[in-house]
Amino acid sequence: MQRTMEKIAVWTGHLARLALWAAGIGLVLMTVLIAAQVVWRYVLNDSIVWTEPASVMIMGWFIFLGAAVGIREGYHLSFDVLLYLLPLRAKLVLFSISDIAVTAFGAGMIWYGWQLAARTAGNMLPSLGISGAFDFAPIVAGGVLIVLFSIERVFRRAAGLPTARFGDDPGPA
Amino acid sequence: ETTLRSSDTHPDGYPTVAAVAEMGRLLEERTGGRLCIEVFHSAQLGEEKDTIEQTQFGVIDMNRVSLGPFNNIIEETQIPSLPYIFRSTAHMHTVMDGPVGQQILDAFTDHDLVGLAFYDGGSRSFYNSERPIRSIEDLAGMKFRVMQSDMFVDMVSALGANATPMPYGEVYSSIQTGVIDGAENNWPSYDSSGHFEVAPYYTLDQHLIVPEVLVMAKSTFDGLSAEDQEIVRQAAKDSVPVMRELWAAREAESEARVRAAGVEIIADIDKTPFIEAMVPVYQKYVTSPVLQQMVADIQATQ
Amino acid sequence: MELYVLFGSFVVLLLIGTPVAFCLGISSFATIVYLDLPPVVVFQRLNSGVSVFALMAIPFFIYAGDLMVRGDIARRLVALASGFVGHLRGGLGQVNVLSSVMFGGVSGSAAADASAVGGLMVPQMKERGYDVDYAVNITVVSSIIALLLPPSHNMIIYSIAAGGRISIADLFTAGIIPGFLLALLLMLTAWWVAKRKDYPVQPFQGFRMIGTLFVSAAPGLILVAIIFGGVRSGIFTASESSNIAVVYALLVTFFVYRSLSWHDFKEATFAAVRTTAMVLLVIGCAASFGWLLAYTKVPASMVALLQNVSDNPIVILLLLNLILLILGTFMDMSPLIVITTPIFLPVATAFGVDPVHFGVILILNLGIGLCTPPVGAVLFVGCAVGRIPVWDAVRTIWPFYGAAFFTLMLVTYIPALSLWLPALFR
Ligand code: NA
Ligand code: NA
Repeated sequence: MQRTMEKIAVWTGHLARLALWAAGIGLVLMTVLIAAQVVWRYVLNDSIVWTEPASVMIMGWFIFLGAAVGIREGYHLSFDVLLYLLPLRAKLVLFSISDIAVTAFGAGMIWYGWQLAARTAGNMLPSLGISGAFDFAPIVAGGVLIVLFSIERVFRRAAGLPTARFGDDPGPA
Repeated sequence: ETTLRSSDTHPDGYPTVAAVAEMGRLLEERTGGRLCIEVFHSAQLGEEKDTIEQTQFGVIDMNRVSLGPFNNIIEETQIPSLPYIFRSTAHMHTVMDGPVGQQILDAFTDHDLVGLAFYDGGSRSFYNSERPIRSIEDLAGMKFRVMQSDMFVDMVSALGANATPMPYGEVYSSIQTGVIDGAENNWPSYDSSGHFEVAPYYTLDQHLIVPEVLVMAKSTFDGLSAEDQEIVRQAAKDSVPVMRELWAAREAESEARVRAAGVEIIADIDKTPFIEAMVPVYQKYVTSPVLQQMVADIQATQ
Repeated sequence: MELYVLFGSFVVLLLIGTPVAFCLGISSFATIVYLDLPPVVVFQRLNSGVSVFALMAIPFFIYAGDLMVRGDIARRLVALASGFVGHLRGGLGQVNVLSSVMFGGVSGSAAADASAVGGLMVPQMKERGYDVDYAVNITVVSSIIALLLPPSHNMIIYSIAAGGRISIADLFTAGIIPGFLLALLLMLTAWWVAKRKDYPVQPFQGFRMIGTLFVSAAPGLILVAIIFGGVRSGIFTASESSNIAVVYALLVTFFVYRSLSWHDFKEATFAAVRTTAMVLLVIGCAASFGWLLAYTKVPASMVALLQNVSDNPIVILLLLNLILLILGTFMDMSPLIVITTPIFLPVATAFGVDPVHFGVILILNLGIGLCTPPVGAVLFVGCAVGRIPVWDAVRTIWPFYGAAFFTLMLVTYIPALSLWLPALFR
């Protein structure tokens, strides 16, 4: 079990890295787009109408991708104080319950995000000229990764492997 | 006893909020308290785009919204949003109370909504910080803030000016600092935003006279008895004159305040060149035979 | 009953260690299922909660802060502060506070301030014979200043939580006097504690040296002017000025200071992605939670409840402050802003408190919460920087808490401290 999970971890690690890079590129792209909008407005005395909706869409991508990576790396804000009072075994059971609840929420992101996309697929997004379904692509993609990474946590714990938690490493704040 | 939840983005006491509350009072009276309405004002349940979806899902029962968010969903709603389509507020009232208005209300049914009534949204005109605009030539090269909509951008371009979409809250300081020359809005907003302080030339060209709409969730409506459905429709219709009265009073109040502040109002302009400039805009947006027929019907309405 | 489901599941999930964002999302999900409404609304709110253009200022200000820490801008600001006040009693403590004022003017994050200023100051203070707990205490509490001075992304979160109808420029301006007041009181406290402990005094570096340090730090200070001047004059929106902050920080660190390597750039970008995703997911999930609060009419009931308790605004404000301080001790700032604003802002306005004034009270109050155990992100960062247990820091932190609390009371009961400056600009 441990060996299998370690092999899987290599792949999910690549996936998380990929998502993090995509999110990072999104942040840089968003910086460039808004900078271009500012330059166009003040220097070239003209306005670009699509930079704003496009940036908002990119922001959706990096929030949901970044949030999914946060599940795997354990950097989400959480409240572990009362758990210090419990024995390790009980704590691990509670963590797994928590991960299963997050999995359910991730599944909701996929299922209902898909429904929203289907409902708005026929609408055109103003200024972008693409289908309204694209609005909900980030939530579905983020949901898929959240489900994957949360299930991985449950199985790793069952196999006796560590899972990252908020507060393990203060990291860059 | 059923409480209908109704959403509105305007604050408590605003004419639309008061009109829906009045409709609730009528409902309560006519159903002996079986039906009543609770208005969630000030966008408590979300902005218009979201609350429209929520109404379609049947999570909220009623919604007072602008036509703008429907333009990409229901083509008939584009018609009242066309620039210079209505000659005056009275013309708009006649059209929306008539067969064209009913045709638009009926179009909501295919989208899980029931169109109940049209409310006033005021008439929008240009104001600026530079000079009085008396003819279309005066608009040349000026920069105006418009709402984020392709059609409004095209309208301003067709008039020979530049359109700059920006959030409403940024407009005041942008006019003040000369980032834009002006904006366009109705009397109450021109007054409440304080824009008249920095843009004291107001030209009443009334390019947009767009009504707002009161819709009900189809699932809620279908859940009512035939008798109650009729009561709901009638109460909505009966709230319209109340709303128009409140709106007119508010408009007059704002107009008086703005005039007292010494703003230059340019009222008697020849609108013909403005209307003629809209030909390419109409060509671009009035595409289907249904829409072309609606435009012809409106123009023929006296 | 639905409120028991909403708050009950929220608290249970919080206690078993579920991330706060998901506590909000899952409890909303559970409640909407309980109410037999379509759950799709929860995810619609989540999506539209983060699809707001004004929110874009948050990733940009966070990103700019990360770039400034890694690209030497923060260090030069600290050096300048040292030239100004290093020779006063408790000199390095004073430098620490003044650095937070300067760094706070370019970054809106208390945690970034504590790690940047603390990382530079605490080792120096240790070396010069200051107690580590004193160094950590002052690092931690003075970081609240960064939340009050523009640009503070928490002010933007508040404005959005309040429905986007409160001017960000006014909020930014309103925080300035309270921010400086807090700085002043903390410097007095630092001086008083230093005197009692007889900490060393270092010689004045001379005006020529201050001039040199000023030139070296000038690009950072210019950024303060660009951000505040841009937003206040309306030339830029808050989102645009945050973007300019990023571009400017990149230009200065790449081309002027030549201090930012490709590796630093990459790490700053990833750090900003992580922090932003964490904060904005909370905001998105809180949009669902807030929708259910409105749907079940919690804000209205809260107003009615508190109106029953007292009709005196002074009592109500004290009560709100106490509730917020208690919540702040065990929850983080951004989730608390988004959860409590829709509930408490209607209460405050019902008692005649200006929304801008309430925003400043809220930010300062929750800022104090960041410095208190058991959950205080800034306290943790400070202790990590000083490598001391939380308990060691908290034992001697009381004078600094006292100064912050006193500022909170002044800000709460003297509205002019917050409202005078914005009115002057308007
Ligand atoms: Na700041
Ligand atoms: Na500090």
